[in-house]
Amino acid sequence: MTTAIFEQFINGTMMGSIYVLMALGMVLIYGVMHVLNFAHGVLFMVGGYLAHLFFFNLTGSYPLAILGAMVSLALIGVLLERAVFRALRDNLRMQIVASLGLIMIIQNGVVQIWGPHALQMRPPPVEALVRIGQLSFTVQHFVIIGVVAVSVAALYLFLTRTRLGTAMRATSQHPEAAVVVGIDPNRVYTLTFMIASALAGLGGALLGPLFLIFPQMGDAPMLKALSAIIIGGMGSVPGAIVGGLGIGIVESLSTLVVPTDYRDTIVFGVLILMLLIRPWGIFGVRVRGEH
Amino acid sequence: MTRSFSNLAALACLVLGALAPLIFGGQPYVLYVLTLALCYTIPAIGVNILYGYTGLVSLGHMGFAGVGAYTTALLMKDVGVPFVPALLGGALAAGVLGVLVGIPCLRLRSHFFIVVTLAVGMILFTLFNNLDALTGGAEGLPGIPRPAPFSIGPIDFEFRSLTGFYMLTFVVTALIFALQFVLVRSDFGRSLSSVRQDEALASARGVNVFGHKLMAFALSTAIAGAGGAMKVLFLRAAAPMSFDMHESINLMMMLILGGAGYLVGPVVGAITFIAVPEFLRIAAEMRFIFFGFVLLVLARFAPRGICGLAESAYKKLGRREKTVVGYS
Repeated sequence: MTTAIFEQFINGTMMGSIYVLMALGMVLIYGVMHVLNFAHGVLFMVGGYLAHLFFFNLTGSYPLAILGAMVSLALIGVLLERAVFRALRDNLRMQIVASLGLIMIIQNGVVQIWGPHALQMRPPPVEALVRIGQLSFTVQHFVIIGVVAVSVAALYLFLTRTRLGTAMRATSQHPEAAVVVGIDPNRVYTLTFMIASALAGLGGALLGPLFLIFPQMGDAPMLKALSAIIIGGMGSVPGAIVGGLGIGIVESLSTLVVPTDYRDTIVFGVLILMLLIRPWGIFGVRVRGEH
Repeated sequence: MTRSFSNLAALACLVLGALAPLIFGGQPYVLYVLTLALCYTIPAIGVNILYGYTGLVSLGHMGFAGVGAYTTALLMKDVGVPFVPALLGGALAAGVLGVLVGIPCLRLRSHFFIVVTLAVGMILFTLFNNLDALTGGAEGLPGIPRPAPFSIGPIDFEFRSLTGFYMLTFVVTALIFALQFVLVRSDFGRSLSSVRQDEALASARGVNVFGHKLMAFALSTAIAGAGGAMKVLFLRAAAPMSFDMHESINLMMMLILGGAGYLVGPVVGAITFIAVPEFLRIAAEMRFIFFGFVLLVLARFAPRGICGLAESAYKKLGRREKTVVGYS
């Protein structure tokens, strides 16, 4: 039993790390722009496909493929913000409509380009195994956990130590005041979308090789990340980290108690419960009239 | 909303719909596609009451449609209940679930409510997919019987043929359309609109905001349930894939395409979304890409959908009419 718990704990930490990447992107976009980007999951999926493309057709190196996916996604993020979301600021319903449109375009566009069947890529870290006692994990498990830990640290330093990061936080806290002190909100918005999309691309490039790369691969991570930012507290960066990791670990451990097919139900059950008791989340602050 | 425009459009849809078997009698494929479009029109009317008139977005509505569908299917297949009570049973089951979900969740605002509907839809999908004993799991529930034929005097009605089933779906859709008509023109409907436009103001003017939202949600889920039931009765099999998140998104999309907050919005949307690409022979993926772009354009330039565009065109053609409060 202890080994089973340990195994699920490592699996959960790995999946949770992926959710953290997604949740951080969504929380940045939400915190800075008040946009709930439902299309974040398809960006994750595109990250998987682009990593596959770069790995097999261009570089043959997995780290370079990841980098390529992230840079491409950053550019896509800029495009999305400029072309779609900028005009829809402060219009929640139409932002959702636009996200739904993007999901349809991107998901079915990928099917047009790569076909509906799942792709496989097995870079070295997926083939190599780590043995801990009787258990074995792929090296990729620990690559994911490590890369996410480093990314979170880098993001934290960026947000707290650089001028641009400070500008982002300022815009998120008080947009008007940020303008007064000379921050150009449009630049901040573009930057936010860029970072968030790159993080989603990183997630897809990391998880894709471990499982399969297919058009719907981003749906579940997007929904889990959405749950994570709500459980953690909308707009809270620590909340996204705790929420993401927590959801990954809870869903993995829940498979020890309930059939695997029902683990999503557990997560969404926790989400609904949280929304009912404490809709402002673990780290969020209660704002009157917002919930 | 321009009332004369709205009534004219509704009347045109009604006449065209009733005459469809005569016009397309020799083309079973056309009737097949139209029937399918009607099966989506029903839940789209449900979403219209919720989104178009009350201003609440639900991204899990096909989950409720699934509850109605499986309930009706099981009632007809295993219990042998006739069509009408089985359909009402399905709608009731979906509506009761809507009340149960609505009571705690409708207190949440804007995107929090959307996320809850998404989560509820996902949970329902998981249940359809895994409660093998009840729903047949991923395999689905095959062999749902057709409604039994009956006669009124010398006229026989049967639902084995495509024309017969089309007319049945048409009548059910027309009844639900009539329900929508009566509802939104009633005091209750006007109060709903006030909730959509300004919740705080509506509340200050004595509208029971929560009660109205709950009622709208329950009606909306019950109608979605009836729509789901018609769909599985038509396809003669219920499968979880018919009620997943993407179907819920498609449903929202149909309504926005047609025009949320218009009586005929769901009709125009479902037919445009389902039927037009079929007849233009556009491959499924290309259709979604195309409509995805349409959605982006609508979000930016014409948030009131096809009906909104038609209404402005109608007003330019004809004289008068005061300004209309914008919907966004």
